[in-house]
Amino acid sequence: MKEIIRITLGLTISCLIAGIIMGGVFTATEKAKEHNEYLNVRGTMTSMLGFNATHPVPADLRLYSLYRYILDKNGTKSIGYVLPVKKDKKISYALVTVGLDGKFKGLSYLNISEEKVSKIEARKTALDAVVKPPETFTYADSTIIAKKGPKLLAYLLPGEFNGFKSVIKVMLALNSKFTITALEIMEDDEDPGLGAEISEEYFKNQFDDKSLQTMKKIKVIKQPLPNDYRRYLEKSKWKKGEFTKAKIDKIRKKYKDHDICALTGATITSRAMTRGIKGMVKKFAYRIRILDNALKQNKVPVAF
Amino acid sequence: MPATTKTNFQLVINGILKENPIFRLALSMCPAVGISTTMMNGLMLGIAVLFVQVFSSCTISLVKDYIHPRIRIPTYTLVIATWVTVIDLTLAALAPVAYKQMGIFIKLIVAFAIITMRLEVFACKNTLWPSFWDGVGMGGGFLFGMLTLGFVRELLGAGQLFGYDVLGFRPLLFFALPVAGFFCVGFLMAAFNYIEIVYNKRKKAVNR
Repeated sequence: MKEIIRITLGLTISCLIAGIIMGGVFTATEKAKEHNEYLNVRGTMTSMLGFNATHPVPADLRLYSLYRYILDKNGTKSIGYVLPVKKDKKISYALVTVGLDGKFKGLSYLNISEEKVSKIEARKTALDAVVKPPETFTYADSTIIAKKGPKLLAYLLPGEFNGFKSVIKVMLALNSKFTITALEIMEDDEDPGLGAEISEEYFKNQFDDKSLQTMKKIKVIKQPLPNDYRRYLEKSKWKKGEFTKAKIDKIRKKYKDHDICALTGATITSRAMTRGIKGMVKKFAYRIRILDNALKQNKVPVAF
Repeated sequence: MPATTKTNFQLVINGILKENPIFRLALSMCPAVGISTTMMNGLMLGIAVLFVQVFSSCTISLVKDYIHPRIRIPTYTLVIATWVTVIDLTLAALAPVAYKQMGIFIKLIVAFAIITMRLEVFACKNTLWPSFWDGVGMGGGFLFGMLTLGFVRELLGAGQLFGYDVLGFRPLLFFALPVAGFFCVGFLMAAFNYIEIVYNKRKKAVNR
């Protein structure tokens, strides 16, 4: 009996000590960690917009976030967008509701600050105050609208779909005509040397310059990449002066409707990527048009 | 086993060659087979294991007198988990670039057999300094094993080393797949055993 008490006490104390150490380190590092993650995502976004060491990020670049929610009221569904609006010359966030038929349903201001809106829990509390039961809301996805002054630079779409082994997370940049300008693989779990080649330039850059019309009927073909196209796609391996502006334009024009060449030994991954990106572009183009119409017709003072 | 009589240098060499965790003790084979597809992966996991092994060995050797023998295994796991968490969080906060590459590997280490085994066999019977050097040796041995595996698999599977093209073509794509890990470990194990046999024979011949 004495032994049992000693063991229990010993284990409890060691667990407590371990817990205190872990908790202490967690509280000490949490802020820095979050900041790093934020910088990481922002760095990816700005590099996708074409800013780097030689083209620094301009001061008037603004990234507006848009969050899509699905609202459900006793079976009738509608789409809710949490988006930034101008109110008293300041940016605040509002919930815009649009019916499935594209009709504008309502606008309600949310009590949430610009820093907190990126956190899903903060948005939930703010939405709870506006969306009254029996109506429920579920988070669907988000979009980032990048603007430089009054000019729309790109839509950035984070998205995920199934690959060969598990989920592939990507970020897509579209211009105002819904042509893909950049694709970045954020996270994947494919086999190195096979499916993981999707993050290599010669595969992911194939999606660049594909317009919405091309994306709608794009296929995966089991043919080797043409040599000149491959040289062009591997941008980090360009020799100085190898690609003049005229040459780049020629190649871009020649291959802008070219199908996606599958990776050797990873046809399933290549197909999944193409299907996933096709779906993302098509759905986004459809949704943003409806939203734009609804916002314009009702003169919502959106910030973007 | 009584306290060790080996010198610090012998302890380190022992971990890297004579009792190499992957090729001689055949412990922690899951990561060795699963992650060693490239040299960079091997290096990252090796460094992470080295740190956790050294820190855990030191901690256990310091508190060994207070651990009740019946609950020593849970205590070891607790110590390893604590160090893994601390290293994980600190790296995420202070070295985001390194964390981006190493993050997924660090969380795996809690379940590594090699660390628990070293605590049980060595650290709980020795004082701080021998335990420290034993940790360095074992971690170093693991690092060495992972690098060797990564070297063979990346070179034959992708024709690259540390992500740089060295061959310009891919000799055997098969080596990039998980199955090839078993073959590599098997062949390297055989090579290690062969070297030891030859070495022992020579030693005997010299002594005679």
